[in-house]
Amino acid sequence: MKRREFVIKSATLAAGGMVLPYILPSGRLFARTNAPKADHVVFVMFGGGLRQQDSILQRYLADSQGYNVEGNILYNMLEGAAPASKIAYGITPSGQPNGSQPIPKILSQSLQKQGTIFQEMRAISGGHYGGWNSLITGSRVEGQGLKVRPMNPTIFEYARRFGGYKATDVWFIGNTISNSIPLLNSSKHPDFGLQYGANFFAPGITFGGDGYAALSNAKIYHPQEELEPVYKMKNFLDNTFNIKKGDMPGIRNTDDEKTQIKEFIANTFQRQSSGLLPMPPVSGGDGSTIGYAAEVLRVFKPKLLVVNLSNIDGCHSNFTGYLQAMHRADHAMGFLWNYIQTQIPEMSGKTIMTFVPECGRNLQHNPIQDENDWYGYDHGDSNSLRVFGGMVGQNVPSNLLVGNETNPVGKVTDMALTIADILGFKDEVKAAGLVDFESMSLFDRI
Amino acid sequence: MHIFKPALVLVFLIGISACKKKDSNTYEVVDTSSYGDNLNKDKSKSNIEFHSILSTNLFQKPSSINELSRTDRVMQSCGDKSLINEVIISNYMNSANVKLPSRKMMTDSTERFIEETFIRFFIRRPTEAEKTWFTNFINANKSNPNFRPELVYTAFAASDEYMFY
Repeated sequence: MKRREFVIKSATLAAGGMVLPYILPSGRLFARTNAPKADHVVFVMFGGGLRQQDSILQRYLADSQGYNVEGNILYNMLEGAAPASKIAYGITPSGQPNGSQPIPKILSQSLQKQGTIFQEMRAISGGHYGGWNSLITGSRVEGQGLKVRPMNPTIFEYARRFGGYKATDVWFIGNTISNSIPLLNSSKHPDFGLQYGANFFAPGITFGGDGYAALSNAKIYHPQEELEPVYKMKNFLDNTFNIKKGDMPGIRNTDDEKTQIKEFIANTFQRQSSGLLPMPPVSGGDGSTIGYAAEVLRVFKPKLLVVNLSNIDGCHSNFTGYLQAMHRADHAMGFLWNYIQTQIPEMSGKTIMTFVPECGRNLQHNPIQDENDWYGYDHGDSNSLRVFGGMVGQNVPSNLLVGNETNPVGKVTDMALTIADILGFKDEVKAAGLVDFESMSLFDRI
Repeated sequence: MHIFKPALVLVFLIGISACKKKDSNTYEVVDTSSYGDNLNKDKSKSNIEFHSILSTNLFQKPSSINELSRTDRVMQSCGDKSLINEVIISNYMNSANVKLPSRKMMTDSTERFIEETFIRFFIRRPTEAEKTWFTNFINANKSNPNFRPELVYTAFAASDEYMFY
């Protein structure tokens, strides 16, 4: 062999040897850039606007209504004694005063004891949609319009593109179809978009009265005898039409995934009528949303599930209802974490749950008083940018508090990189250059 | 005489070019309906438009506005529009009021069935390639007792082209 030929062949073999191991079965060209910290992530957007004083600072009515009553009403999430008087945050037993019975604690150890709490984080926006966008995209959302999909890629798209996940591995469960929530499962970014979007349900609609009327009587076709010819004909028609990527009206599941989701819809209606859905002991509103999220987790065991809560936003006009919604959301969070650990063996011990609201609430109240003559709170001032968050699960330091009122640590835009860090593609998200340049994985903030 | 000659030639030329026998041809053109193709369908139907047209195609009568609003909300509540459409279509197919051609018509008059199905759902005639593909597909599935017009209608109603106009 000539020297020149030898050099060329050696170089080719060496290059091939370097590249080939990175072409993974998932079709990804490159291996994950950091070791995954867990196999699954559940991200609760504990939202609707959570006022720092009434939640993590545990001042109950002291910093809001002028009563010197402090205490912790989020006792599944946080350590701290419950308020001793003026109990209005619980449920309402028949004939008893409104909210007078606190909901029993679900978790034997609070999420704070089990995981890490960032006591004083900073939100990007004092509004809901900007807040959700910053949580889901990790970007600063400048120029983001209302009623349009996020400008920058969502964590779902990063997960599917860089993690190589299929559509049923990535879910967004919304509590409503209002406020543009259904638009958050994918961005309109030209390099990402719906082809990498998440499956989405708003269970209150999909499995509520509307969904029951439109979906519950659906035929379940035989997969080979009936569905296969349907999909063959549909695929032929779709190929002749050749829809453009930008025109896709929704995300796309494969034919097998579609069959799986159709079965899920049919089974959910059946399990709903039999009372078999995994609902928190005290359900309704955000609690129901969490229950359906648990059902999606049970069936699909997704790599990433994001669920949005927002009953707390009733604080604009009903402070008592806000306290109750906060307490119930804490109850639902406790239920969800307990359900993952005890009822889904494939996810138990392999999951990290994170939580943070999209924004806080104002320092000063508005003039609206509720039945207890307590004032409501809007959001939009600098106090609305004060939030707390946390994470719990595999590889998360336990019983750790990070930051405090005088030393804020963490931003809501950290969540996208944190999730990417957990699932093992943080560097690729960073390299895409579309997240807040100041954002970091919360693991790197510790 | 020299002046007169060109004038005479000019008059002669005008005369032969102006006088022309009028042809009166009759072409025997058969009246036929005109349908478009799928090339210009680039506008996505709204949820309400989609289901209004779908229910008219399947039931031969329009849906109530309440039903359309409800269906719109359900469609918004699901991320995969194509999937949720399929579930809604199969929900409609479970109704006793849905109007479908018979299996006999599909197998005995396959070409007519294909043409009518394309016109019903896509407002256009099938191309020769489409006609051939569907004819072969229907013939190949004749022995499958579960293969019926309902499945063909489902495929058309769930197709990408049906979501556009």
